[in-house]
Amino acid sequence: MNHSIRGLGLLASVALAVTLLLPVRDFAQSNSKTDQWIHVRVESKEEGGETVRVNVPVEMAVKVLPAIKHAPLHDGKVRIDCGHMDDVDLRTMLDAVRSSKDGEFVTVQGKEDVRIAKSAGYLYIHVTENNHHARAANDGKGNETHARSAVSKVDVKVPMKVVDALLSAGKDELDIVAALHALSLHGDTELVSVKDDDNTVRIWIDSKNVSD
Amino acid sequence: MLFIAKAAIGAGATLALVGAWVFHEGIIRVDVDEARSGGSHVHFWVPATTVSTGLRLAPRRYVRQAADKSRDYLPVLREISKGLQKYPNAELLDVRDASNHVHVSVKGGQLYLDAVSDDENIHISCPTVTLEHVADRLEDAAPGV
Repeated sequence: MNHSIRGLGLLASVALAVTLLLPVRDFAQSNSKTDQWIHVRVESKEEGGETVRVNVPVEMAVKVLPAIKHAPLHDGKVRIDCGHMDDVDLRTMLDAVRSSKDGEFVTVQGKEDVRIAKSAGYLYIHVTENNHHARAANDGKGNETHARSAVSKVDVKVPMKVVDALLSAGKDELDIVAALHALSLHGDTELVSVKDDDNTVRIWIDSKNVSD
Repeated sequence: MLFIAKAAIGAGATLALVGAWVFHEGIIRVDVDEARSGGSHVHFWVPATTVSTGLRLAPRRYVRQAADKSRDYLPVLREISKGLQKYPNAELLDVRDASNHVHVSVKGGQLYLDAVSDDENIHISCPTVTLEHVADRLEDAAPGV
């Protein structure tokens, strides 16, 4: 009788332990599902060209960056060296954009089309470069036979909260860690896209641990 | 006869326990093949526990020397090794061109570094928990990091 009671007690203890452990495991799984990853993909379309794919968990980047002490990066912040900015005060510019209302701030049309705008909580930067490569080939009758145009496109889309976080550091500093925190809270976003005839660059953030 | 049987069972159980303990952390594997003539071919694997335990048993001054030399990188190693344990399966880096391929990934808690080129093939794998043990041990030997 005593043996059967002890056996039942042991069984109950095991069942309790399993019951207590199961939700923890489920929580851990659901937690890992919400982890945000930064993806970088660089693809060269040239023959034998290079392909680079980087996938980094935001949480890990947030912890590793402050551990790197190498100028200009320290404590997860980048020091802006004004001497190398061609007299452009980047911080003041970003601060001005942050505090202004939605609208289109810069529009340049020419060989390069540039558009900088703020809309619905996002900062947009679009640059399109049109390169017309007219070949000096001739068909013998004085007509040009071949002309090639190359288009380079740069699209940057950054949530304004990330800009705010970036500027939360002291003067002449950008807080990369704070910006990553803000990014991770923002959900899936395509940050940078660069396309030209030879290369494609994409930087985006999502909850997948592989770049598809 | 009964005594011998009991001793055999005891020895077998001890061996099984020791084996389980030695391999519980995983295996460190290194494969290096150079394609050139006379190139080196290095292939070995060791239980990761031997590295963790070896660092504890190694003379303190040697561990301290190693810690001093790697002082600048210890905080980064510590954070990366701790961070990687949260992601047991992940593709971290993939770089390839016509003749080279570098791949860094984590599978089942094991960090894999693969570098394949026309000249040489390098495959290294190490449990992420071992990296953390190494970082912790070196940090203990180099306080203030």
